[in-house]
Amino acid sequence: MKPVRYIILLLLLGYNTLQAQGLTPQQRFEKANTLYQQNKYTEAANIYQQLINEGYPLEDLYFNAGNAYYKSNRTGQAIYNYEKALQLNPYNESVTHNLDLANQRVQGFTDELPLLFFQKWWQQWEHLYTPNGWAVGSLVLFWLLIGGVLAYLLAARFNNRIVRMGVSVIGVVFIAYLFMSIYTYSSLHSHHTGIVMNSGIKAKAAPDQNGKDLFELNEGMKVQVLDATADYCKVQLADGKTGWIACDEVKRL
Amino acid sequence: MVCQVKIRKWALSLFFCLGVIACASAQEFRFTTNVSSTRVAQDEPFQIQFMLENASNVASFTPPSFTDFEVMQGPSQVQGQSIYNGRRSEYIALIYVLQPKRTGNFTLAGATARVNGNVVHSNPVTIEVIKSVNHNAAPQAPAQQPPGFQPGHRGPDEDVAEGILRKGEDVDAKLRKNIFLKVDVDKTNLYEGEQLTATYKLYTRLPTNSSVTRVPAFKGFSAKDIELPNPPQATTERINGQLFKVFTIRKTLLFPLQSGNLELDPVEVDNQVRLVKLSHDNRKRSRDPFEDFFNDPGFKDPFNDPFFDDFFNRPEVSYEDVPYKIQSTPVKITVKPLPVDTRPPSYNGAVGHFNMSATIDKTTLTTDDALTLKVNISGQGNVNLLNQPKVEIPGSFEKYDPKVTDNIEKNSNPLSGSRQFEFALMPLEAGDQTIPPVEFSYFDPVAHAYKTIKSQAFNIKVTPGKQNKRDKEDFSVDKNVLIPVHLAPQRWTKDAGFLLGSVWYYLLLLIPIIALIAGILYRRRQHYQRNNAALLKHRYANKAALKRLELAARYLKEGKDRAFYEETSRAVWGYLSHKLEIPFADLNKQLVQNKLAGRRINGENTLQLFDLLDNCEMALYAPAQSNDKMQGTYQQAVKVISQLEEQLKTKQQVV
Repeated sequence: MKPVRYIILLLLLGYNTLQAQGLTPQQRFEKANTLYQQNKYTEAANIYQQLINEGYPLEDLYFNAGNAYYKSNRTGQAIYNYEKALQLNPYNESVTHNLDLANQRVQGFTDELPLLFFQKWWQQWEHLYTPNGWAVGSLVLFWLLIGGVLAYLLAARFNNRIVRMGVSVIGVVFIAYLFMSIYTYSSLHSHHTGIVMNSGIKAKAAPDQNGKDLFELNEGMKVQVLDATADYCKVQLADGKTGWIACDEVKRL
Repeated sequence: MVCQVKIRKWALSLFFCLGVIACASAQEFRFTTNVSSTRVAQDEPFQIQFMLENASNVASFTPPSFTDFEVMQGPSQVQGQSIYNGRRSEYIALIYVLQPKRTGNFTLAGATARVNGNVVHSNPVTIEVIKSVNHNAAPQAPAQQPPGFQPGHRGPDEDVAEGILRKGEDVDAKLRKNIFLKVDVDKTNLYEGEQLTATYKLYTRLPTNSSVTRVPAFKGFSAKDIELPNPPQATTERINGQLFKVFTIRKTLLFPLQSGNLELDPVEVDNQVRLVKLSHDNRKRSRDPFEDFFNDPGFKDPFNDPFFDDFFNRPEVSYEDVPYKIQSTPVKITVKPLPVDTRPPSYNGAVGHFNMSATIDKTTLTTDDALTLKVNISGQGNVNLLNQPKVEIPGSFEKYDPKVTDNIEKNSNPLSGSRQFEFALMPLEAGDQTIPPVEFSYFDPVAHAYKTIKSQAFNIKVTPGKQNKRDKEDFSVDKNVLIPVHLAPQRWTKDAGFLLGSVWYYLLLLIPIIALIAGILYRRRQHYQRNNAALLKHRYANKAALKRLELAARYLKEGKDRAFYEETSRAVWGYLSHKLEIPFADLNKQLVQNKLAGRRINGENTLQLFDLLDNCEMALYAPAQSNDKMQGTYQQAVKVISQLEEQLKTKQQVV
């Protein structure tokens, strides 16, 4: 009996997803928005999550998903999605506002230190383009650079000092763009921060079950992952406390 | 004083009775035993009276042995005479108040007395002792020291009322014996959270004015006092056969909060004991000779009593208030921890016996309404310490801290009552919601096991309310309102991944690099080709010139002067043509001069060159030149060509 039931279940699931795929992403997004407005937050969150899982990295999608999770009292997921939206655009005021609200629900929440002025500058510079924007920029600059060099070398007309200066300036800018594209790429792939997804997790002094309990982590806390074994991650809180918890409890950003 | 009055009444009625009896049997000697009741309850005191009527010369009196009874009072002696209908009768009565020790039928043998030298016996009586109905009501004896109240077996130095201090008597010892504190606990070994009743009692036989100076703190316990009547009511209790007045200082229900060995703190009481001081002479005078006569320390004249002393001999009596501080002994309590292995997850500290009910006030509502979940826990045990039961409220409800209402029965022992938790729930989401069953666990110390009660689950239908409007407010006004979802249409482009991580990026980087390499190669090739052609021409020019000059040298040896000049001239012109890139047909002196001037070659070289050319031309048209001159011309041609070659090379490099 069991396999049969499984198959039926799979068929049902398949049918549902097929039905969902019949709609355009925009229609599904609108449907989720309607559900949200009808206070059916869990269903709305499910649709948003599906869209996210399909790989639409949209600021508003993450924001709406965060709201739906917030309203259905899943603080950890809400904070995760807000943080995702902020990764795409750290200057989105609505996201910052709602993230602040969600953080109020986190027990034992400690705010992160505000960024220093040069860190802010760096952040602004970093978010001048998307990572792909930086990469495209570096490509364009590279083509320009090579073109300039070729023109200088081959055409006697461009064989002068102005062209040489221009080419070297383009070269420096290209190196900066290349560095930024590599930096943004690696910072998005490092996953050094994460959100705790469950409440009442004891942080241990050592990476095993019998370690001494140090402090408690609650759903929605943002942690830095400093080190990791196969099962355990060494996390650091905003206030500097460190301890080991099971990696499954942290959803990496 | 009520008791005193009672006793006096009793005594008077006795007088009266005796008088009647005396009248009935005038002048006749009788020795009888009377009991107030032949059927008594255990612990119920009764009177036994041995009466000698019209007896003279009573020498001795021996009461029967009261082995199965306890002498509570007596013997008291009543002596009197009555004249009734002209007949006079005298009597002596000895009265005991007895209390049975056990149930059953007992026969009390008569008393023995020696009257006029004859030994007489009174009649035996049979007493039937039944089980007492109400145990607590047993000690009905008077509390205040009444006149004539003398416990039967006492030390010889104590045969006075307790409030009277005889000379030479140790005050401390007396106080210690007659006033003390006692702590009663109903159990000393119990579970954490189980109820324990502790009663602090003051036992006294002396008139005292007491005040409690230190109350126990009950460290490690949660205490709930039972209200005591105010002013305090005294009861009596018998300890070692002595009646004590008992005041309850404090009665507390205790719930241990931790396991281990705990101690109940002592209570401290300050007493002001009023003692009556009697002068020794007075005591002597007031002693009844009958006492000596009978020679029985327990035998006492009812009139030989402090009351009467006090009454009649007031000037000889003085009072003294003695301060006396007492402390109870601490009580050790062993508290067992609750079993851990079988503890249900929903357990949160309840010990006793409980019932739980959970109700909700409505099953359909809108998101604008609130729902109330009432959980009522009632029963016996640590009701005052009940924590809120675990209620798994789904995330779609906003939960507030419960309102707790207690309804604990006053002065109940064991503590019983109910505690009600009222959870206000705000539905956040529309739809069919289910609140899972409320679970409550408690530990039953009688069964030594945990018990769990579960309510049913609640299904609630939530319809959307008008709350949406509130969400649309401007967020800058209220910081605590969530900014609603963004509705703007989105550009649904899937995450293409990172360009930097894809092959395309590197391909696109590679293409210009290839182009650059190709460009550089092309440029180098062009350069090389250009340089090579010039080199070849140079080489060719020299070679051609040298070939011609070689030929000229041969003609010189052969002495063919015309051919020699022809060849020399051709060698020079050919060289110039190749070197200066001038077509052979266009060659003339002027052009060569111009070209050479353009290459900044002039001066001596040019002069020599033109000199040589003139020589050759002249020799061609005017023959018969000497061999020496031909040799000189040849030398000059070689010199000019090599010089020109050198100069052209250097000048070209400069350009």
